Amino acid sequence: MEHSVRVIIAEDSVLLREGLTRLLTDRGHEVVAGVGDGEALLKTVRELAAGGALPDVVVADVRMPPSHTDEGLRAAVELRGAFPDLGVLVLSQYVEEQYATELLAGSTSGVGYLLKDRVAEVRDFVDAVVRVARGGTALDPEVVAQLLGRSRKRDVLGVLTPREREVLTLMAEGRTNGAIARRMVVSDGAVEKHISNIFMKLGLAQSDADHRRVLAVLTYLKS
Amino acid sequence: MSTDRGPVAEPAPPRAVLSGGTWREIVHLLANLPVDVVAFTFVAAWLYAGVLLAVTVVGLPVLTLGLMGCRQLGKAERARARALLDVHVEEPTPLRHRTHGGVGAWVWATLKDPVAWRYALYATIRLPWGPFTFFVTFVALFLAWPALPWLARWLTHVDRALVRYLLAPSDELERRIAALEAGRAAVTDTASADLRRIERDLHDGAQARLVHLAMNLGIAKENLTHDPHTAARMVDTAHHEIKLALQELRDLARGIHPAILTHRGLGPALQTLTTRCTTPTTLHTDLPHRPAPATESIAYFTISELLQNISKHSHATHAHIELWKTDNRLLIHVTDNGHGGANPHHGTGLTGLTHRLQSVDGLLLIHSPTGGPTTITAELPWRDPD
Repeated sequence: MEHSVRVIIAEDSVLLREGLTRLLTDRGHEVVAGVGDGEALLKTVRELAAGGALPDVVVADVRMPPSHTDEGLRAAVELRGAFPDLGVLVLSQYVEEQYATELLAGSTSGVGYLLKDRVAEVRDFVDAVVRVARGGTALDPEVVAQLLGRSRKRDVLGVLTPREREVLTLMAEGRTNGAIARRMVVSDGAVEKHISNIFMKLGLAQSDADHRRVLAVLTYLKS
Repeated sequence: MSTDRGPVAEPAPPRAVLSGGTWREIVHLLANLPVDVVAFTFVAAWLYAGVLLAVTVVGLPVLTLGLMGCRQLGKAERARARALLDVHVEEPTPLRHRTHGGVGAWVWATLKDPVAWRYALYATIRLPWGPFTFFVTFVALFLAWPALPWLARWLTHVDRALVRYLLAPSDELERRIAALEAGRAAVTDTASADLRRIERDLHDGAQARLVHLAMNLGIAKENLTHDPHTAARMVDTAHHEIKLALQELRDLARGIHPAILTHRGLGPALQTLTTRCTTPTTLHTDLPHRPAPATESIAYFTISELLQNISKHSHATHAHIELWKTDNRLLIHVTDNGHGGANPHHGTGLTGLTHRLQSVDGLLLIHSPTGGPTTITAELPWRDPD
């Protein structure tokens, strides 16, 4: 079982904030603060950081008061700049490639962007929070689908086998080899083989670190 | 749409003596005497009497009735010109469409009705002119009939000009109002159709799912203690159901107004739209800055509908969208390599789209030869944000 992570939740709906808190504490994680807007989020993180107790991850809703537009996203981008060690997971009612691009600018370590609905799959969601807290990536399948769908490299992607495409999608979502293997019900070795095939076919350099691998794939898809 | 009100073109060469057109012109000229005398008498009797009596109680009603009569006479005169002289001018907007309020408002509207007053002017000018043409034609009929076709042509040419200048809808403003009224009707229709669609989507989609969900959870609650297995299965179904309901609600909300359009503008919103389109679509936007939200919204939904048409009807394998700004217009260019034949008259969404764009002073041009490719250009006024 994963060890506990320390979380701040920024979500303006009290109902949802309490739901998220409960969901995470039930699974042994610690919710250090819950806030309702972007300003409060920035303030709380700075205070905690000043006291030497920077949390592992922030879970923030994109749309919060007062402007109800993209407060959460802007706060998240700012936090990523100011605290590289802090994981940031952004939740949104809609998944937009543009938001993902802004959030992922520069690096894919310790960052996540998920559709709000994903909280319904409790295990997957908590996995994503933990992954981001530990410097990994969690990208919503819809974002990945959008990236795959509009990639100019469609011809090259066509060379991949359906299995390899599936692995590529899961990899772009930020999942580890183990997680991909479990989801596809194959062995870790089989996944590794698929991944090396994919990297070979796309002409990418292999990389061990998961988040660097995600970055390579995303950069490739967006170029 | 437009009436010929510009500088009068050189008349065509006269036709042969016996041609139907020439005979109709002659009939028109001969009818000028009785028609114009009667018309002038009417105008003189009612209007001048009305004006003279304006100081008394009966003055205004007399004048009002006289002006109403003028409108009708103008209509008859346009019909006569249409039948005999081949002059087609648009009918002015009926007065009643534009007056709301009591009798007073209606009397006032009639009194300042430019259409009626212009007819009065027309009838006044025609009193010398009509009888004159009658006599010239009548004499020529017996004494100079070989010259009659030319004569008839020239005389009716003046008649045509009078009808065009004095009996056409009085001014741009009138027609503008008619266009705006049509536009407003289109907007209202679209808005209420949209509301009905949203209601139906909610009813058939998310609402139905939530009912089913509530039912499954109800069953699960009943079975919780004595049949945990069934309960677990019901909760599982409910869980699946609610995720679908969320998806449907999200799609519906996006269809009403995509949040990204508000937050990031046309470029990013259209990018997402093209990704969701089943036909591979490329996008090129060249906008100096964001326009007013209303402009963005119209442009977005226009393109959204065009893309839907492309993926449903065109069999295209590729589409391209271009967006740019000229002086004060936003231009949208959507092309596809499908089989063409898009036609606004076949009851597709293009008709509604054309009307909606017209209602905001925009326009939609469709070039879609059979066999393709299709190019649709939409243009709408660019408004800067407040």
